[in-house]
Amino acid sequence: MEEAVLIRAAQKGDPDAFEQLVHAYDRGVLRVAMNLLRSTEDAYDAYQETFLRVFKSLHLFRFDCNFQTWLYRVATNVCLDHLRKRKVRREEPAVVETEEGQWNRMDNLPEDRAQADPQRNLLNRQLGERIEAVLQGLTAKERMVFELRHYQGFRLRAIGEALGASEEAAKTCLFRATQKMRAALGDFV
Amino acid sequence: MNCESATRSFSLFLYGELSIEEEQSFQDHLEGCAGCRKAFEAEKAIHQALDAREKLPPAPLLARCRRDLKLRLDVTAARPAPWRAWFGWWPALVRPAGALALVAVGFFAARWTSAPRPDNTLDPMVSRVRYVQPESSGKVRVVIEDTRQRFLTGDPGDEQIHRLLLAATRESSDAGLRAESMDILSAQPASNELRGTLLYALEHDPNPGVRLKALDALKPYASAPDVRGALAKALLADDNPGIRTQAIDLLMQKKEEAMVGLLQELVQKESDSYVGLRCQKALREMDASVGTF
Ligand SMILES: [Zn+2]
Repeated sequence: MEEAVLIRAAQKGDPDAFEQLVHAYDRGVLRVAMNLLRSTEDAYDAYQETFLRVFKSLHLFRFDCNFQTWLYRVATNVCLDHLRKRKVRREEPAVVETEEGQWNRMDNLPEDRAQADPQRNLLNRQLGERIEAVLQGLTAKERMVFELRHYQGFRLRAIGEALGASEEAAKTCLFRATQKMRAALGDFV
Repeated sequence: MNCESATRSFSLFLYGELSIEEEQSFQDHLEGCAGCRKAFEAEKAIHQALDAREKLPPAPLLARCRRDLKLRLDVTAARPAPWRAWFGWWPALVRPAGALALVAVGFFAARWTSAPRPDNTLDPMVSRVRYVQPESSGKVRVVIEDTRQRFLTGDPGDEQIHRLLLAATRESSDAGLRAESMDILSAQPASNELRGTLLYALEHDPNPGVRLKALDALKPYASAPDVRGALAKALLADDNPGIRTQAIDLLMQKKEEAMVGLLQELVQKESDSYVGLRCQKALREMDASVGTF
């Protein structure tokens, strides 16, 4: 069914139409949330919050922009909130972030490979830590632009729209992010 | 293009965000500048290192997210529109079988409204069947209770409104209304009564979407002993896998020795594969074995 038809039906309260809309975009939203927030629990929360908000405000969608852009505006806001909250949380020592998802751990292939080449593994781990540090050093907005451009393959123009900014502003954000990476990782690669 | 603007273009080139002309002059510059070529190779290596770091959602997570969203949406969508609360039932009464319907409804103590009176639509009458008694003549005697609907408007923090919301959360027969009242209350400052109501809903509400909402609202209290007790109970007793998974997530916010036994018990009897995996992960996070030995 055509998307506009689905949206109109969902706006009138058709639950199946809404579900079809969710299923058209939720993979992408979950990917963003998982890669940004890096924990299954937080990604789950961000997913639920995003689509509940979309559900509640769908009647406000006026077809004056791309639906995907509109939806990502909601999703990125939810994720940015989580990132900001987390920055505050980090300062409390009691909370331990669990980084490893169960599936990564169950999949023991990388470990086998790591044992075969301990030196390379050490280097990789150091690089990983360095990347982690530089990503945390980005502002929430830089982090989001970088996420959408580098990992999700969004055009800068669409990113600007989703974040309520111009393409030029998105480009500046991206530029600052990549500059910081280069400064932090340049001697490593 | 000079070296400085070439360097600025590295990432934009890799992302395909340069115009055709910019791309051309970027490539022209690289061809003639060994320094930029080397730096550009480094930039590519950074991109690859970043690619390798992508964290993809584990496959079962999407299914879990969809399932729980549906639960939450079902109860959200079930919220009665304001007009339905007034008039929703009355058309049934004007059907030919109205009299029969009336008796049947009475057994469930459901309520309906009388036909709206145009002169007084803001104050409709609500009738509730209290009692029905068949008579020997073949007729039936119905005892109804008429109540006038009233409107109260106030801040959700006002005591009277607050009480009504608490009562609606606990007692309404309408899952949508229970969920909506709970949503409003959850945005209010914490109170023991609210907590008690949420715990009650988590344990007793027949609708899994409402129970899931109660869990969401209990997040801020997740380290309190009574809440943890209720979570443990839900973990073992709730028949909905979405709720069991959420209960584990909340319990794991504070890792306690006592949870090991609970999780080990659950892992033995768990029928849902996602919950089982979540349990195993939790046990590993606590450095405990998955089996009981
Ligand atoms: Zn140069």
